[in-house]
Amino acid sequence: MRSGRRHLGLAIALLAAGLSPVRAAHRSDPDKLPSIKVQDLHYGDVLFHYWADEDSGLEALTRLEAYNYWQRMPHHALDAQLLAAGMYLQLGMHNQAGDRFATLLGDNIPAGVRNKAWFYLGKIWYERGYFDRSEQALNRIQGELPPQQEAERTHLLVNVLMREQRYDEAIARLQSWHGPADWIAYARFNLGVALVRAGRLAQADPILTAVGTLQTDSDELLTMRDKANLALGFAYLQADQAAQARVPLERVRLDGPYSTRALLGDGWAHAALGDYRAALLPWLELHKRNLLDAAVQESYLAVPYAYGKLGAAAQAADYYESALKSFASESDNLDAAIGRIHEGHMLDDLLGTDKDARYGWFWQLKTLPDAPQSRYLYSLLADNDFQEGLKNFRDLNFLHRDLARWDQSMEAFGAMIDTRERAYAERLPRTDALLATDAPTRLRAARAAVDSRLDAIETGNDVAALGTAAEREQWARIASLEDRVAGLPRGLERDEAAAKLHLIKGVLYWRLDAAFKERSYSQQRALRELDASLEELQNRWVRVQRARATVPTNTGEFADRIAALAARIQAVRARLVDTAGKQSDYLQDVAASELGAQKDRLATYAEQARFALADIYDRAADQADGASGAGAAAPAPPDAPAPAPVPAPAGPPEPPER
Amino acid sequence: MNTPPQFLWSGLACTRSLLLSLLLAALSPLATSAQPPAAPPPPPPASAGAATAALPSGQPASDGAGGASATDAPADAAAAGTRALDEQIQDLKKDVIDLNRDLFVLEEELLFPANTQVAVFVSMDVGDFFSLDSISLKIDNRDVANYLYTPREVAALIKGGVQRLYVGNLKAGAHELVVLFNGNGPNERYYRRGANLRFEKGVGAKYLEVKITDHARAQQPEFEIKDWE
Repeated sequence: MRSGRRHLGLAIALLAAGLSPVRAAHRSDPDKLPSIKVQDLHYGDVLFHYWADEDSGLEALTRLEAYNYWQRMPHHALDAQLLAAGMYLQLGMHNQAGDRFATLLGDNIPAGVRNKAWFYLGKIWYERGYFDRSEQALNRIQGELPPQQEAERTHLLVNVLMREQRYDEAIARLQSWHGPADWIAYARFNLGVALVRAGRLAQADPILTAVGTLQTDSDELLTMRDKANLALGFAYLQADQAAQARVPLERVRLDGPYSTRALLGDGWAHAALGDYRAALLPWLELHKRNLLDAAVQESYLAVPYAYGKLGAAAQAADYYESALKSFASESDNLDAAIGRIHEGHMLDDLLGTDKDARYGWFWQLKTLPDAPQSRYLYSLLADNDFQEGLKNFRDLNFLHRDLARWDQSMEAFGAMIDTRERAYAERLPRTDALLATDAPTRLRAARAAVDSRLDAIETGNDVAALGTAAEREQWARIASLEDRVAGLPRGLERDEAAAKLHLIKGVLYWRLDAAFKERSYSQQRALRELDASLEELQNRWVRVQRARATVPTNTGEFADRIAALAARIQAVRARLVDTAGKQSDYLQDVAASELGAQKDRLATYAEQARFALADIYDRAADQADGASGAGAAAPAPPDAPAPAPVPAPAGPPEPPER
Repeated sequence: MNTPPQFLWSGLACTRSLLLSLLLAALSPLATSAQPPAAPPPPPPASAGAATAALPSGQPASDGAGGASATDAPADAAAAGTRALDEQIQDLKKDVIDLNRDLFVLEEELLFPANTQVAVFVSMDVGDFFSLDSISLKIDNRDVANYLYTPREVAALIKGGVQRLYVGNLKAGAHELVVLFNGNGPNERYYRRGANLRFEKGVGAKYLEVKITDHARAQQPEFEIKDWE
């Protein structure tokens, strides 16, 4: 299972890699999406988090959805959608993934990528118990997958068919199947099982026998060999063909995971043939083993039953007494464990050892804590549904913690908005007053006036207008003196003064004229600098205007969004708590039910042991009465059990070995 | 002579059938998750439900046709309940992811508005000549980010990921980004290099990419900063 999940992770990573930037050195593969260059940095960021984070893609998926919302990945829209579907699959959200794949996996996607997506979706749906959807997804695969995956696909389909009791279809598929050598044994085993279930034991025998006599050193195949032998043996037992059952049952290894069941079955096969002495051999071996095993529990009845059959009533009574004590003790332990579960401690006990708080589809509880109920939960932990349930429970708690973190951020965001609003309240009046001056318009008008004046100066060659303040003052004095000279009576004195003034004016004009071009250029340059400043002013002015215009809406909108999201966080957190509670109840019910079933089984065994014991005592008493009344020489009736000695009153039976 | 009383027989038969239903877990189809090429742990025992379904005909706990057992109806109901809860959890997870997206969007729009946003990304190609340890970023001579990389993050960069290392706010105008790289260069020697870029921040968001590439001919890494318009 873990291996399968690891492969799933790799496959989704490969799917992502197919969508990701692949360096030029990588050759093109018709079964993969073409190598692409990252054209949107944000798509690259999603890939970075997908590969770098250890949260199985939650952060990457959040970013992908956010970047998609902002349309920041226009060049990778399809890649991003496919990657999202893959990540939904990886996060165990198979429905979401299935819907997306159904929409996205069109003919524009390479067949290899499409098939891979359907394969893993089918696999996850199978593991989650959605057999109908699993079958649909697996049947959407076109052509053939790589040999190993094709073999696994066939076996997934066969498993689906068998789970749905469509044995003939499973048989037909397996009989025509040819695949890699390492899958052949699995195929033969499943074919044998399908034949047994279809009531075709004679056809199943050679097939399961072939698997059950495999020559191999592989632990995995040795285990399967045991499983095939056990399956065949019990199929024969159920068909009341005890002699045929013994052969495969005796091939099961005594130290394998199926040894207890095989020992029990072997005993039953001997017992069915009337050979109780031979039956005792496997049952006594079984009796030494761990009482938690159902087969061992059954041996606590089977051994005294065989002794009874052999006429050893005293030993039978001893073993029944011993069984009753062991069952009672185990039943008390189960009561304590069930009580612990009902008190709500089971999940704390189970997950308390797992400090790793990550979210994830690949997580699996691997070790059991030292808790009272732990020893009874091993079988549950091997159960896929229970592991899936634990994973869901853990995910819900992780998501709850994640949202708690956001809850704190919302408080900070709210404070930030408040601060902004206060700052705006302080600055807005000043801003409004400034904006009301319409300064840029006024300054642009002033600039236009300057420009016109400069034009007029240049057009009119008004050299004095661009003179320095002293020159302009001198020019004005000359003009004034000219007026005064003009007002003097005609004569030599006036002519001399006029000539002198003319000379002075000429000198000043010459200076002014010499500097005019440079001064005009300088003024033009100053005007251009003014233009640049005015443009900067205009930009700033527009930004201030925009900021002013958006202030009420912007902060208000954020405040509304924060409030709405805070409410959603609360609602979703409440749902998470509620659903985690339901999931917890479900898991506790499953565990309590499992332990209850174990307890019921013990109770049934105990009841049978008591009846058997009572029967032994009754017979012993009857026999004692008969002996005293009719005499010891009277023969026992043909069908009566052998006389049972009264068990020794002293000394409790040895407790079963744990 | 050796036949036990009928009640005992029936009790044992009942026990046997009860146990057989457990033992016949061996008849459940093989879990496909056990990958043949690998060496996975031994297959787990199948669930009681699977075992019950596996009971062939004639057994007290199953119907005469050897099909669904008498316990199938409640088992189906339980499976439906489990499935409903699973669907509910999936819907809830989707709601959480949608909510996370909306929160991420809010956070970024609130803290880094588009008109002032500046983001610096880091990418790496090949990485044969440079093993990245850390990166320091300065904008306008002010430290804005120092990042120490894990091997997993370096691997993510080499695979093609692009890390958004820094997001911040800058006013419009001219700015300068200075990047310092620390790591191991060719021949495992400590390597410290820098790169800088003067850039103009306009009205929209500004994205800068810090690129680490291999220069095959010089057998040296190259560092450059790209301004994404």
